[in-house]
Amino acid sequence: MNLTVIGGGPGGYVAAFLAADLGMNVTLVDLEKNPGGVCLYRGCIPSKALLHVAKLIHEAEQAKNWGVEFGKPKIDLDKLRNFKNNVVNKLTGGLGQIAKQRKVNFIQGRASFINSSKLKIEKVDGETIEHTFDKAIIATGSVIATIPSLNIQSKRLLNSTSALDLPEIPKSLLVVGGGYIGLELGSVYQSLGTQVSVVEMLPNILPGADRDLVNFLVKRVKESFAEVMTSCKVLEMKEVENGITVKIQDEKGTIVEKTYDYVLMSIGRRPETRGLGLENTKVTLTDRGWIKVNKQLQTTDPNIYAIGDIAGEPMLAHKASHEGRVAVEAIAGHKVAFEPMAIPAVVFTDPEVAWAGLTEEEAKKQGIKYEVAKFPWAASGRAITLDRTDGVTKLIVDPDTQRLLGIGICGPNAGELISEGVLAIEMGANVTDLKLTIHPHPTLSETIMDAAEVFFGQSAHYYVKPRK
Amino acid sequence: MQKEFKLPELGENIEAADIVNVLVKEGDFVKKDQGIVEIETDKATIEVPSSVEGKISKLFVKAGDRVKVGETIMVVEEETQETTKTTESVAEEKNKVESLSAKKEEKKTEEKPASKPAVSGEKKIVDFHLPELGENIESADVVNVLVKVGDVIQKDQGIIEIETDKATIEVPATVSGKVIEVLVKAGEKAKVGQTIIKVETGDVSETKIVETKESEIIQEQKSEETKPEFIKQPTTEVKGELPKLHPMEFVEQPPILKGAAPAAPSVRRIAREIGVDINKVPGTGPGGRITMDDVKAYSKKLHESRAEGIGIGIKAEALPDFSKFGKVKKVEMSNIRKKTAEHLSYAWATIPHVTQFDKADITNLEKTRKELSKIVEKSGAKLTVTGILVKVVVEALKKFPQFNSSIDMEKKEIIYKNYFNIGIAVDTEHGLIVPVIKDADKKSLTQISVDMNLLAEKARTKKIGLEELQGGCFTITNLGGIGGTYFTPIVNSPEVAILGVSRSSYEPVWNGYGTFEPRLMLPLSLSYDHRIIDGADAIRFLRFIVESLEQPLKMLL
Repeated sequence: MNLTVIGGGPGGYVAAFLAADLGMNVTLVDLEKNPGGVCLYRGCIPSKALLHVAKLIHEAEQAKNWGVEFGKPKIDLDKLRNFKNNVVNKLTGGLGQIAKQRKVNFIQGRASFINSSKLKIEKVDGETIEHTFDKAIIATGSVIATIPSLNIQSKRLLNSTSALDLPEIPKSLLVVGGGYIGLELGSVYQSLGTQVSVVEMLPNILPGADRDLVNFLVKRVKESFAEVMTSCKVLEMKEVENGITVKIQDEKGTIVEKTYDYVLMSIGRRPETRGLGLENTKVTLTDRGWIKVNKQLQTTDPNIYAIGDIAGEPMLAHKASHEGRVAVEAIAGHKVAFEPMAIPAVVFTDPEVAWAGLTEEEAKKQGIKYEVAKFPWAASGRAITLDRTDGVTKLIVDPDTQRLLGIGICGPNAGELISEGVLAIEMGANVTDLKLTIHPHPTLSETIMDAAEVFFGQSAHYYVKPRK
Repeated sequence: MQKEFKLPELGENIEAADIVNVLVKEGDFVKKDQGIVEIETDKATIEVPSSVEGKISKLFVKAGDRVKVGETIMVVEEETQETTKTTESVAEEKNKVESLSAKKEEKKTEEKPASKPAVSGEKKIVDFHLPELGENIESADVVNVLVKVGDVIQKDQGIIEIETDKATIEVPATVSGKVIEVLVKAGEKAKVGQTIIKVETGDVSETKIVETKESEIIQEQKSEETKPEFIKQPTTEVKGELPKLHPMEFVEQPPILKGAAPAAPSVRRIAREIGVDINKVPGTGPGGRITMDDVKAYSKKLHESRAEGIGIGIKAEALPDFSKFGKVKKVEMSNIRKKTAEHLSYAWATIPHVTQFDKADITNLEKTRKELSKIVEKSGAKLTVTGILVKVVVEALKKFPQFNSSIDMEKKEIIYKNYFNIGIAVDTEHGLIVPVIKDADKKSLTQISVDMNLLAEKARTKKIGLEELQGGCFTITNLGGIGGTYFTPIVNSPEVAILGVSRSSYEPVWNGYGTFEPRLMLPLSLSYDHRIIDGADAIRFLRFIVESLEQPLKMLL
């Protein structure tokens, strides 16, 4: 079985490596020198390296409340950039090594389909080759979405990629788009000393997450950022000397003009299927531009599979990896299907926001019966020792079976804590299971057990009326 | 742990039984369902199967004893946890092996087309796939390949002959052109959708032999393509408005719980592997959570009910070595034979059959038939007694709707049909085939005769389509052409009745006026499913047919 994986991101490399483990003859095609994709080169990983530093700066500052003063941090931007680049190189280089160990044929280049069994690969060294396959997996991911009218040519207009390169520490920065990318990068620059403003079209930042989770973040952002403009629209951008002037219209129609040192466009990502030669195959797209796949991630062309961002939402690395495994196992003839009970979403701001499974908003919208049990971190010993009581742990429960349907957490480390909830949802666990599982003290993870106790009105640390 | 095995309930009103034979002894290791004793009750001699498993530490009965229901027969030393596990894991292993071999088979068939990649995108070369053959038919044995590379074929021309469970048929081409590749061989199994041949369409004359090479095709395409540029970080433009794009990131969380069954991922995976729909498994855990054991138990139940359904439960008797008695030849059953055997065993085992006999005086009918046949012959078919019977049966079905029904024992439902499709059993050299005359109520006698003729011919020449063999409501089987008086046909399940027709002959019939008259009598045998049809109704139904044959006008009353 000759399997060719196009795109070496967290979907593609996971698929390629598993396929090699299952004995397939695997080729992995990617434009970069090593596997890694957007996630490792200019997404999840580098942003987390910078966010780690941002958090450190905040904590150092906060320490004066606890009697420890560090003074104003001195930031060496080149060194910081280097740290980030080293993180990226270490990980991508490691993947390159693993690819070799697994005898994956890694081709640095761009592939497009000639037909349903043949690819043209333009290698970066200039050579163009033809490459046949039995099965192919498309894992080319997504690209940064832009708005044509706002797409001015200016080095002061950043996107998520150029923002990670830390060109300088701007005095002021406008983040267009209050989604997770904008908020994460905005937080980085804010901690480095930039006056950060956010403009968001919708009435709320982080749409999709439950408000009671996001509220802690909103409060924090409003305190630390210069301005948060919701229900506001960017009409126009113009480069001026030492900055970009932006026309912003609020919901009442009032237009204001403000000048920022830099502007970061982060309105989302979208699939890019052009240039893949899909017209030469039987692959078809959905009306929203994603490649149409079934539960085995097989496209409408039986030889071709698609995983990750290009195969649909949510566009998250861990979804792509899981899909990659399913696709490869399906190709290997195993009876598998992509049917997760929950895909966790994490926003790595400070505080972090994470959720999985059913959200309260979604439950209301779909008319699903549910009950909520919330444990505020103000009642958590561990949170208090961290001086971080700006958090909450929330369970969404089926009132009939007491099965856990969803979980949401806001607070430091929410991204790490959420996994327990995801496992519980996958296992079909009920609230009693969570309640009866001994959690180590004193930790933030206890808040999950506490929330389960709240459901029964039995939390030792937080009084609610006992359940009848 | 010790466990007692007591004589179980044997049936209504049976309180005790005589032990005829003890099939085990102390120290034996017995398995569940293994026969322990043979007992004789008022009704029958039966083997009593064990409900426990383990080593027999004590046996309390011997042949000749009379044992009461509930009396202890033996005590077994139940195996420890560990041994239970081993037996379980053996079953698991078996499951695994089964699923593995299933996988292998899947792989095999899948890889075939893959090894010869399809050249799609090229307009002139068309892959011809094995078309849909009918409900639930996924593959077929290729009996014969009727074309070879280089042949120029016409649309509707037979390409291959295949044998499915139901019939041997020719698969006609859907395209015209020159055959450039044949991907199947006689004796192979072909899957629905698999490429059978590749045909070069367009103006292909036989003299112009063009060897189309893949590379040529590719080059043609390449010239049309523009070279894509290398862009390190491709950013693209979106024409739409901002809000449309915006919430994209998290909005579509997976709809986790639209009734998804609560079960661990590992359990869901196993269920999928062994072909069990996890949503149908009753969970025994809190809140209906489904455990691995639940899945296994459900799967076991499924298998058992399947096995029971086919009337197995009767142990197959070992065959003697016939070659000891003389020369023998072993021939593998054809698919039709296998299917017929299975189908008829099923029908025979599940349907309580009763056969009702009667005879119809068709002296007058024969006269009329011969006269009318001349008219029908203008349409190219003869008017036959079977043809007339189709019409008569349709009227009878209208009058007795329970004869046009099926039984769903699982749901305890009777399904009444509001259409009248009559199957006609046809004897062919490949075996018994039952083509179906669709909507016989809407067709004239002439049309029915023409249809019958056509279908019978198609059946004999293997040209019949599977849809022409499906959807029957009632079957007529006429053996009169060969001879015989009466017989007991087997109901063609899921139908509920079948009419057997034998050879008519002149018999002396008392005319009621003091003499016997020679009358042409047609013997009829009606077998029916006694679960749904009562004996009185059956004879009424058959009488209706007889009377309609004797006095056709009666049908119109």
